[in-house]
Amino acid sequence: MIPTHWFLILSAVLFSIGVMGVLTRKNGITIFMSIELMVNAVNLTFLAYAKQFGQTHGLIFVFFIMAIAAAEAAIGLAIFISLFHHRDTIDVDEANLMHW
Amino acid sequence: MDQFIIFFFFAAVAIIFALVVVLHRNPVVGALSLVACFFALAVMYVLLEAPFLAALQIIIYAGAIMVLFLFVIMLLNLQHVAEPATRPIQQFAGYTASAAFGIGMIYFLLKYAVLAEPTVPFHADARAVGMAMFQAYVFPFEMVSILLLAAIVGALFLSGRPAHGKAREVQP
Repeated sequence: MIPTHWFLILSAVLFSIGVMGVLTRKNGITIFMSIELMVNAVNLTFLAYAKQFGQTHGLIFVFFIMAIAAAEAAIGLAIFISLFHHRDTIDVDEANLMHW
Repeated sequence: MDQFIIFFFFAAVAIIFALVVVLHRNPVVGALSLVACFFALAVMYVLLEAPFLAALQIIIYAGAIMVLFLFVIMLLNLQHVAEPATRPIQQFAGYTASAAFGIGMIYFLLKYAVLAEPTVPFHADARAVGMAMFQAYVFPFEMVSILLLAAIVGALFLSGRPAHGKAREVQP
């Protein structure tokens, strides 16, 4: 039986890598993928605690987070396509105006 | 003992591919590495005795979301667009902040979250998930369907061609 806190530590490491990507990259798609990585790290935490306490609520949360991540990916990528049509770039430093 | 070997191997795979996602300059390589990382996380879900969610992880994340990412990257032809270099101070601050965050989180996890062996049995097959979802969580489940419908409509609205302003020329 693998101890629960090993999964939590793996989750913390993956979350930190995601934070690193969001803070240091400029490519919008890469930043978005880092956010997906952070979402998955949180999913792993939910599941580790669900197993620790023998409850299904954590599972349901993981399911809902997956559905919300799908919606978020669709909307975010649509925003990047729209940004690319207007600006010919997805560099997030270029997207500094709400209206153009 | 086998479980420990599998855990460490796939934890290393997940961390290495996550680093490739963050550090590689080419977004196509990043997206494919993220798929590999999600597969390693699906193995983690199997180790946590949740095979149904492992299947969902592969179907939804590796199958649907990452295909959407790859499709957009290739549609926008981004693999040839050079990313401008980040300022060194921002790079240094980002690495330092994320490392401090990770080390701090691991420190507090080891200090407060080392728990005893679970005593309650854990049932996480499709039957348990379905029973919970359609009894206690039936209202949020319906809300998720409305959320996905709104996301479809919003994505169609946002990604359509601009009605006015500059239309991008299609490259041959």
